[in-house]
Amino acid sequence: MAGRRVALKSVDWLAFAERVPPNQRSMFNALKTRSDAIAAKLNSLPEAPAAIDWSVYRSTVAKAGMVDEFEKKFKALVIPEPTDTQTSAINAQQAESNKSASVYIEGSKARIAQYEQELDKFKNMIPFDQMTIEDLNDTFPETKLDKVKYPYWPHKPIADL
Amino acid sequence: MLSRLVIVSAAGLKSSSPLGAGLVQASRSLHTSSQSLAPVPALPEKGGKVRHGIFPDEIFQLLYPKTGVTGPYMLGTGLLLYMLSKEIYVINHETFAAASIGAVIIYGVKKFGPSVAAFADKLNEEKVSKAQEVKDVAVASLAQAVEDEKKEQWRAEGRSMLFDAKRNNVAMLLETNFRERLHMVTNEVKRRLDYQVALQNLHIRMEQEHMINWVEKNVISSITPQQEKESIAKCITDLNALAKATQATAVA
Repeated sequence: MAGRRVALKSVDWLAFAERVPPNQRSMFNALKTRSDAIAAKLNSLPEAPAAIDWSVYRSTVAKAGMVDEFEKKFKALVIPEPTDTQTSAINAQQAESNKSASVYIEGSKARIAQYEQELDKFKNMIPFDQMTIEDLNDTFPETKLDKVKYPYWPHKPIADL
Repeated sequence: MLSRLVIVSAAGLKSSSPLGAGLVQASRSLHTSSQSLAPVPALPEKGGKVRHGIFPDEIFQLLYPKTGVTGPYMLGTGLLLYMLSKEIYVINHETFAAASIGAVIIYGVKKFGPSVAAFADKLNEEKVSKAQEVKDVAVASLAQAVEDEKKEQWRAEGRSMLFDAKRNNVAMLLETNFRERLHMVTNEVKRRLDYQVALQNLHIRMEQEHMINWVEKNVISSITPQQEKESIAKCITDLNALAKATQATAVA
């Protein structure tokens, strides 16, 4: 009946706090308070309860055999451990979160590739002071004037000027 | 301009040394296609070199090998004299008008040219700097976006901590619950034992009280009226004796 040691994985709350995105900060704080409360409660309970001094009772209680019976039954009593129903749920949650996070990271990498491509375009283009109009139109296609659709100057709708 | 290009390219073919520093595009030899993949050279900032404000330097360079340094001037003077003497070019009132207009134009260009050029340059530079600013902002925001994405990825990597914390909480709750059960069992057993002790103490006390009461009652009921009278008479005689004894001591 000796208390078992809980296998706790230590959580570095400082590093954890650093990684929390700003929009989930309140949720993180709630989790932290809850965890702290649980830990405090666990720490307030001693691991083994105060032992019963059987010899005192044996000498005090007159009825013969009663204390012995108490002791025997108390020693024989096995206290059931509470069943764990949440770990499997947490594992499922983690698997799901892993999946969504990997999807997110894939998307993020794709976005980074796109950004870098645009950055490359900016870095490799001809400097503005050495550009001709054709170079400008090649680099930024939106600056090209559509002379077929708007045959007269300024070759674009007046509203866009 | 095209005629000048022909002259320039001819000179370029003849002597491979580059002639006009300004005409970069034109100083390349024609009829070659191997440079199509080469990066486009920068646009010239200034026009080609000219002499006396109008005659391209390339003409002089072209004529020097054949005629020496006075050759171009000799050619020009000879051509002019030839045109005048054969009346190909006739000096009439229009020539004077052209000279006057030319003088005024040259004066205007010399006088106002630099400031107009500065103004035009300023307009152009404003445009370019605006475009450059937009480009810088775009580059900075893109770099920032890349940075943010990487940071978000790093944050997403930290999710295992959340689940560690959750599992810890569950484990701690289970342990707390188990300990509470242990404490409850021990306390209950202890309370029952204490109850037994208290019950026993109560029994002993009540037995004692009952025994005292019973003995008292029996003693009282065993006393007969005769005994009572005798004892009262005895008490009275005792009191008398006591009274006499105290009187005697008080007198003495």
